[in-house]
Amino acid sequence: MKPIFTIFKKEFKDITRDRRSMMMMFIIPMLLFPLLFTIATVFTTHQTQKVRTKTLVVALIANGNAEAFRETLLKRDDLKIREDIAEDIIPQLIRSDSIDAAIRFDEQFDAQIADLQRGQIHLYFKSSRDMDASRNRLTTLIRDYENQIINDRFQRLALDRMIVDPVQVRRHDIASQRERIGKSVGGFLPYIFVLMCFMGCMYPALDLGAGEKERATLETLLVAPVSKIQILLGKCGVIVLSGFASIANSFIGFFIAIMLQREIVARILDALQGMFEISSILLVLSLCLPLTIFFAAALMSVSIFAKSFKEAQSIMAPLNIIIIIPVFIGFLPGIELNAITSLIPVLNVSLASKEIFAGTIKLPLLFEVYASLIALAALSLYGCARWFERESTIFRET
Amino acid sequence: MVIAKNIVKTFKLSRQQKREMGDDFQGNTIDAVCNISFTCQPGRVFALLGPNGAGKTTALRMIATMLKPTSGSISVAEYDTVTQSQAVRENLGFLTGNTGLYDRLTPNEMVRYFADLHGMNNADYNTRRDHLFALLDMEAFANRRIGKLSTGMKQKVSIVRTIIHDPDVIVFDEPTAGLDVVTSRNIVHLIRDCRNAGKTVIFSTHRMGEVSLLSDDLAIIHKGQLQFNGTFEDFQNQMQTPTLEDEFIRIVEQA
Repeated sequence: MKPIFTIFKKEFKDITRDRRSMMMMFIIPMLLFPLLFTIATVFTTHQTQKVRTKTLVVALIANGNAEAFRETLLKRDDLKIREDIAEDIIPQLIRSDSIDAAIRFDEQFDAQIADLQRGQIHLYFKSSRDMDASRNRLTTLIRDYENQIINDRFQRLALDRMIVDPVQVRRHDIASQRERIGKSVGGFLPYIFVLMCFMGCMYPALDLGAGEKERATLETLLVAPVSKIQILLGKCGVIVLSGFASIANSFIGFFIAIMLQREIVARILDALQGMFEISSILLVLSLCLPLTIFFAAALMSVSIFAKSFKEAQSIMAPLNIIIIIPVFIGFLPGIELNAITSLIPVLNVSLASKEIFAGTIKLPLLFEVYASLIALAALSLYGCARWFERESTIFRET
Repeated sequence: MVIAKNIVKTFKLSRQQKREMGDDFQGNTIDAVCNISFTCQPGRVFALLGPNGAGKTTALRMIATMLKPTSGSISVAEYDTVTQSQAVRENLGFLTGNTGLYDRLTPNEMVRYFADLHGMNNADYNTRRDHLFALLDMEAFANRRIGKLSTGMKQKVSIVRTIIHDPDVIVFDEPTAGLDVVTSRNIVHLIRDCRNAGKTVIFSTHRMGEVSLLSDDLAIIHKGQLQFNGTFEDFQNQMQTPTLEDEFIRIVEQA
């Protein structure tokens, strides 16, 4: 055990002096969530504010109809109504952003409404602009106007409006707020954690395998009186620690991000507190541990096989995409944790985390996920050790 | 003492390596070392000579237990390199010309690391470390990061790393390759010191000057086969050309 600890201690010291590894271990995981949340909030708030307060330029072709509606539009401060625009140039003006939208009434509109028929209003807009604000704001005004017409009609006919609204649906959602948030946020978080874990493992693995070969320090280590399995375990220990630290720091970053967003805290703090109770976090972290060992062993195998740092990097880069696939599948509707998905690496962590955060995890499935992950970690370490024993792997240039 | 008996090392060729061997080459393997035997005595310097690709490094890596012989046997300090590899490594120091160091560690940390791997206790380590650091005048940069040291300073760190555990057998694989004159001279002095201390010293080179300066015994290897094996005096006595270098070239070309 002592040589393993000696190697671990040295590699840990070495890695903590490597800026790139420290970035992947601490800085990026801790800053990612606060940065993402801040950028998203600032951008969304700014855009929403801009859209909400913007004065829309709207062309109105009433054709002598809907005088009440026209009056309403003219009174509004957030609308600038132009009645001097011909119908045929409306699309052109909207496309060139000279006006934001246009409302045109059919010539027979008032007559049709008076005859209890359906009158037509044409709304012109460009949905790709300003988060579709023109359509949303004008549709609300038109709907208010329509409601007014409907109420008038019911009054005229001396009818109760309830007769056209015979069924009332009252929704009773049994899912708790924790479940609802857990199923959505809980699916997103593993995506970040798995990615961070992989990245956290990648740089030390590159340095401790291919880096040692490139610096020609591996030979000196191989001539020391320690077995290859001891060397491997010492190195993998540091890689696992780095990957695991990345996940733990992502959690911390996530909490910082939540705390920085006061709006979120006010609205869903209770649910988030329930979701991120200490037992849930420990459960998810314990799931990530064997996964980290698997990543460490797999990346170390690649790194020790490569002739150079550059070659190892070129092999590892596509693996980034490969590990995202099972996490992405976890996002798809209908994909649930079951006896089969519990056996699929990465996907099982993603789905199990979702269930844990939502508080709906079933114990037999959780044990199945643990068993499959531990088996995978053990197998990958065994494979890596066998791989490391091969002369043709270490002295590939020979 | 190091005794190599009929050692053979066969490597399987990759497809690319086979292509590089040319169309005339048949087979999937190549013998990098082919049935060679030699003995290196304590208190003597054994020089392994050969052109690039002759099999010197492969032979030395087998002595250092990094590679296993395909057949034959090697004993180092009376331990077998295959069945008692750990014991061999406890009694061995290995230094190559392109030996790397950990740039982010200091010389102190680097040397301590290898001392720990060799299981040295604190008292032995401190005595040995102080002696070597003083001998090589290393105290001034003992706590500076290795990455910031000059080539000569780095070479000193490499030397101390190699002999911190006071091994009985020391292997130098082209130790002066790519080094300047001053640093090369340090290595030559080290090899002499090791011999004088009764160590078994093996070094590979293709520089005849170093051979004449240092070697007591000599083996010339070419295409994996031993072309000469004897004392340096024997070699000089049977020379057919005026200089050592000419003789070396003659032997290699004749093979």
